[in-house]
Amino acid sequence: MEDILEKLTIAVKRGKADKNSPYPPDMKGQDGADELTAEALKMGFTPDEVLQQALVKGMHLIGEDFSAGRAFVPEMLMAAKAMKAAMKHIEPFFRSGSVKQKGTVILGTVQGDLHDIGKNLLGMMVEGAGWKVVDLGADTPFEKFKGALEEHPGALVGMSALLTTTMVNMKGITEKIKAMNPDTIVMVGGAPLSQDFCDQIGADFYSPDPQGATEFLDGLVQSS
Amino acid sequence: MEHHYTVRLEPLGKQIRVQAGTPLKDVLFPYGVEFPCGGKGLCGGCRVKVLQGSVSLDDEHKRALKKLGLKDPWRLACRSSVIADVTLEIGQFDTFILADSSPFHFHPRPGYGIAFDVGTTTLVAQLVSLESGEVVAVETDVNPQARYGGDVISRIEYAVLQQGADELTRLIREKFAAMTGRLLRKTGGTPPEKILIAGNTVMHHFFCGRDLTPMASYPFETPHGDACRFTAEELGLPADHTEILFLPVLGSFVGGDILAGIVATGLDESEDPVILVDLGTNGEIVVGNRDRILCASTAAGPAFEGTNIHMGMRATTGAISSVALENGEIRIHAIGNEKARGICGSGLIDAIAVFLEKGEIDAGGRITGDKERLPLTQEVFLTQKDVRELQLAKSAIASGLHILMDKLGYSPQDISNVYVSGAFGTFINLTNTARIGLLDFPEEKIIKMGNTALLGTKMLLFEDGERVDRILRKTAHLSLESNPRFQDIFADNMMFQVED
Repeated sequence: MEDILEKLTIAVKRGKADKNSPYPPDMKGQDGADELTAEALKMGFTPDEVLQQALVKGMHLIGEDFSAGRAFVPEMLMAAKAMKAAMKHIEPFFRSGSVKQKGTVILGTVQGDLHDIGKNLLGMMVEGAGWKVVDLGADTPFEKFKGALEEHPGALVGMSALLTTTMVNMKGITEKIKAMNPDTIVMVGGAPLSQDFCDQIGADFYSPDPQGATEFLDGLVQSS
Repeated sequence: MEHHYTVRLEPLGKQIRVQAGTPLKDVLFPYGVEFPCGGKGLCGGCRVKVLQGSVSLDDEHKRALKKLGLKDPWRLACRSSVIADVTLEIGQFDTFILADSSPFHFHPRPGYGIAFDVGTTTLVAQLVSLESGEVVAVETDVNPQARYGGDVISRIEYAVLQQGADELTRLIREKFAAMTGRLLRKTGGTPPEKILIAGNTVMHHFFCGRDLTPMASYPFETPHGDACRFTAEELGLPADHTEILFLPVLGSFVGGDILAGIVATGLDESEDPVILVDLGTNGEIVVGNRDRILCASTAAGPAFEGTNIHMGMRATTGAISSVALENGEIRIHAIGNEKARGICGSGLIDAIAVFLEKGEIDAGGRITGDKERLPLTQEVFLTQKDVRELQLAKSAIASGLHILMDKLGYSPQDISNVYVSGAFGTFINLTNTARIGLLDFPEEKIIKMGNTALLGTKMLLFEDGERVDRILRKTAHLSLESNPRFQDIFADNMMFQVED
């Protein structure tokens, strides 16, 4: 029954978290991501199959819609809630090691800035693409990134800023991260940023939307 | 034997009666029109568009126009005089200024006072007779700091990261001295008793020469927000013994202009809970009554000013300022009754409401039916991104109000009045503002107030300092983003209500 994975994909994309969730109105009373994931596992699909063939796929679809302007912040947040409801069932297998995540991404809104919705959306997309996300929150100084990098060697770092007065703080943090280990990949994003700014501060990657970042990350896995 | 004619200024809608033959320069100067080359007909900076009627046009004027490559309907204000009824649009006025003329109650006292509103974009000052309460003279101008960025964040960036703070302080103080100097010529030599100045936190800091570093990053709290006193000498004014005061900051980005707005609306003396909303880039909001007041600034962004909108523009000639549905057909009005070439904030709100009505935008803000554009005229249309920009802006305001009301334990039904201040607020259609969820209150509760910063500052000329102190004591600033539910509330308010 491939059908159940398709249903789960749609539940994630449409943001249907569980049977009782009133959103979206036209799916009232139907099974949500929570019930469908439990059922798929019970039917014998492996956690990895559920993750790759339904959850990652659903998040990818909503990410595409977001990039194209067909979906917006509310739909993304609902999709992320549905994904989280499904992940509850998958997480035990991450811990036991039977399902591998693609790697670890450390995220933080840069020191001096507290506008973190963009960073949160990215985190949901990256997690939904099969990565482990360590979210350091808003107003994140270098020391916090340093601590997280020591705890998760080989992790990538993503930083966001919404203001021109705070994005400049990315420069010093990027330099210090590169001084710790020149191979650590640093991604930057946020409304006032540009590819030029990314190049100037010595960061490795910039994307105007979260979809671009997940595609970049997936490219890293495929090329390694 | 004297003939008089009417000069109408668009888009201000100002009508001025003047004597036949009055130089246009004299008519426009009080409205902040500048003559960069000193009125020599060289630079074209004072060009005006004649929308209706005519002004004088001699050979010298014709030669000057030709040299500058200006054709009909353009004229140079510095070369023109009034010879008939005429409607003009001023070329340099892509911003326009609200100079308040509302009546208010006061206790007469001798002498003169000046109320000065230092806006991020525009400056307005009124010379007031403290005896009669009458406005004796008005000066308006564009904030000279604007060349270093239109919004407060870019000015902070210039001050803090490019060491431009002293330059910005100098610019605003020089303009202040020039405008005040012109007003003082109207008092017959009497120095004013009081000059009160209001502005947002960033304007306060520039004017007072305070360090803006705290406003460049989280937590955006300044230790330098107190009221600032000056001597006339310090500001380069001839008048002495005049009390000169820049009103204090309420908290974070919410400044003395909003404090003045509280005075203007009487929010601080109201028994029932009241809301004050300033629909600008910073979208300041205030909720409270005589017991307790909360204020916040929201990251509404510049969508209401037409910025970041594909065909957005300021409220000038050719901007679609309103949109309505008549028998299923879209009807637009463009300012100056000219051909529409873009859309301003009030038109954007109407357009979204109309497209929701027609089902061409769904509850999530998506354009239905795989269309990329929503046409308003043959040339002017909205894009999907425009709808998204509006969703962000309207949610910033609506979420801010939600959080402040929630904190004070009010529901929308408890609010007796919603005062809307600012230039943009004057032109909005209240039915549509409610329809899109920007200000979801019954129309009869919403009151458009115009420039509350100027009105409140003027009212404070007639009071001692105690009212300001009382307001400061009961007002607290709330950082909206620090609310743990902010993200969910913000997302919820981005949605539109759609009837089944």
